[in-house]
Amino acid sequence: MFHPKKPSSMTSHERPMCVQGDSGLVLTTDPKPRLRWTVELHERFVDAVTQLGGPDKATPKTIMRVMGVKGLTLYHLKSHLQKFRLGKQPHKDFNDHSMKDASSLDLQRNNASSSGMMGRSMNEMQMEVNRRLHEQLEVQRHLQLRIEAHGKYMQTILEKACQTVLAGDGSGSYNKSTATAPDFAQTLSFPSLQDLNIYGSSEHLESLHHQSMERESFIPVSDNFLGKKRSVQYTTPSSGKSPLIWADDLRLQELGPADDQIDSVSDIYETKPMLSGDHEKKYEAKMDRPSPPRRAAAISAGGMQQGRSSPFG
Amino acid sequence: MAMVMDLGFPSFESFDYTTTTTTTTTTTTTTSSTDEGCNWSDWSPVVDWNEISGDQDFQNLIDSMIDENVVIHQSIRPIDDDDQIHEAEYNNSSPEYNMAMQDEAGSAEDSKGLRLIHLLMATAEAMAGRDECRGLARVILVRLKELVSPTYGTNMERLAAYFGDALQASLDAGAGGRLAPGAAEHHRADVLAAFQLLQDMSPYVKFGHFTANQAILEAVANDRRVHIVDYDIMEGIQWASLMQALVSRKDGPPAPHLRITAVSRSGTGRRSFGTVQETGRRLTAFAASIGQPFSFHQCRLDADETFRPTSLKLVRGEALVFNCMLHLPHFSHRAPDSIASFLSGAGTLNPRLITLVEEEMAPPSEGGFVGRFMDLLHHFSTVYDSLEAGFPMQSRARALVERVFLGPRIMESVGRIYRGRETEEGCSWGQWLGAVGFRPVSISFANHCQAKLLLGLYNDGYRVEELTTNKLVLGWKSRRLLSASIWTSQDCDL
Repeated sequence: MFHPKKPSSMTSHERPMCVQGDSGLVLTTDPKPRLRWTVELHERFVDAVTQLGGPDKATPKTIMRVMGVKGLTLYHLKSHLQKFRLGKQPHKDFNDHSMKDASSLDLQRNNASSSGMMGRSMNEMQMEVNRRLHEQLEVQRHLQLRIEAHGKYMQTILEKACQTVLAGDGSGSYNKSTATAPDFAQTLSFPSLQDLNIYGSSEHLESLHHQSMERESFIPVSDNFLGKKRSVQYTTPSSGKSPLIWADDLRLQELGPADDQIDSVSDIYETKPMLSGDHEKKYEAKMDRPSPPRRAAAISAGGMQQGRSSPFG
Repeated sequence: MAMVMDLGFPSFESFDYTTTTTTTTTTTTTTSSTDEGCNWSDWSPVVDWNEISGDQDFQNLIDSMIDENVVIHQSIRPIDDDDQIHEAEYNNSSPEYNMAMQDEAGSAEDSKGLRLIHLLMATAEAMAGRDECRGLARVILVRLKELVSPTYGTNMERLAAYFGDALQASLDAGAGGRLAPGAAEHHRADVLAAFQLLQDMSPYVKFGHFTANQAILEAVANDRRVHIVDYDIMEGIQWASLMQALVSRKDGPPAPHLRITAVSRSGTGRRSFGTVQETGRRLTAFAASIGQPFSFHQCRLDADETFRPTSLKLVRGEALVFNCMLHLPHFSHRAPDSIASFLSGAGTLNPRLITLVEEEMAPPSEGGFVGRFMDLLHHFSTVYDSLEAGFPMQSRARALVERVFLGPRIMESVGRIYRGRETEEGCSWGQWLGAVGFRPVSISFANHCQAKLLLGLYNDGYRVEELTTNKLVLGWKSRRLLSASIWTSQDCDL
């Protein structure tokens, strides 16, 4: 397992990368042989990742090639890479601050320049680090609550807006939306961030990734603004949790802009680029993506970057 | 084509569009100047067309700008013997050009992006020049419009469409006149949808709000009454998280009373009295739901949008905070005088804290209008990139956000620098606050930490840095985008 305490060592010393499978892999003797990530193997892994430009740029395939370890499969690397990425993120700042404060206290210690004070300063340094860590955890907790409050308030805005729209328009084209609004009302319960457990374990984050995948295949309600009729389809979330806050957006789209440029609700969450005049779209039931899973825009935990840079970089 | 004729080039009296079609072809095949019977030397002597076009015709020149294989060496506006100032700007070794050339010169899309940048830069240069070149600028813009659309295509294409429109509007408005009042008022549902999307795609909104809120919380830790004057409250979403934090604060007097005064304007629109009142109702309901003692007031600006401190209702013993949010999605195309009156009015009341969030632009360079224009282009292309990173597939969603928020912003910014191109551009509001005597307040560890954690929820490309002790800056990759700074008045002891 990847140990978070160990700083992601970007070792500077040279290490031959094209080793021909010399170090035999350690496989456990369980009924199901599983690969043990020894320290050495992990070091090789980290070096390979660094060489490839960081955990976001590296892919299992390239890592496998660079590491050149026999018996190491893509599957091993995929899961290890994912854990590595996730493990990096919440502890990024952890390390930053503890390192920073440790070094500043280090200076103080040197200024003391008395061996008798050394012991005491060590304690102070430890206490300082601990204090910072606790403060950081507090900040995390508060941030979570604040984001929740932010989201709840946003919901009141949307609900009021939806109500005024529904109330104001009595024309037939809104029939479908009134019928489906109750459906949405249920799914709109803003999932508490505790559920999402952003700062939590990787299992939760993996389910998060599943949810983000479903978001893309989430087929929105018909947009009645333009009088088109489409059936409502939902893919059932495999994790059993209600869809994320994206449900808000979809209902928003139901309110519908009266504009040709957003000519379809589903365009907002298209799964592949659409051509302009193309209204007869095929809905992909589930987007097939190889791992690593896609990053959810609002809740991300160290996924890969996908933006293509403009000439400005 | 009739389209070209409508542009009206007043300075080219001897232009005769009926005899030439060179400027109207949409193909990129080059045609020699004599094919359509167009003799350049017959044209206005003021413009030295030979200088411009060399031995090629005008259309060819534009095509050469579009053709990725041709490098522009020629100057594209008439140059007098003694007018060498702008020569350097056309030089291929200009920083923007090099910067553009270095990155991703390989793929076709990026080279198209480069061409678009060239066109935009050329337009800006033409506009920065003498009046004769305005016609040239218009022609280039026509060509540009053919290539791009605000809703389809890559980031650069959509961006170029908006910038093209902005330049066009600035041209039409003339050098001295004000821009026509912004884009059409958007459908409210559009605005809400775009607002929600913007928040989900990027940390812009939350960064500004949360940083300001944390600073406010720390400043009023021991107060029983808090009064916040908000320059642009919009939907009031900033205060939801502040209220939550106040309700759950452990140190200091519990459940402090929060009073918010929102600044509103006359007329209709997003900041009108009615809209703000609606926000007030919503905030009151929210506060009640979480048990926060709360009251809401409005403060009207004058007709010329000047803020009068005397129109505020103050209560003895309350901690006064002025909150000024100027970043997306808050519209800042109100007159700078209005903002100045707000901030200086704040100064007369000795507030406990002033929180300011604004867009971070590079300091005005010597490049004049063109330099500032390219800086704007860089700024917004970075914003587009960051949004794309958050929502790589949903270009329609991004197009909506661009249409509702970014497009008008671009329009306003370009207009502003175009109007002000003769005079030196002012400094940022943060610098202004420092200059008029407000004292900076340090950003706390907790605040900085919160910002980092917040950004961690979004794409890795976002960075936060503590630029000065009282300013946190949000950036995307290497470009700074947004700054949140905290100030206090001289008399306060923080």
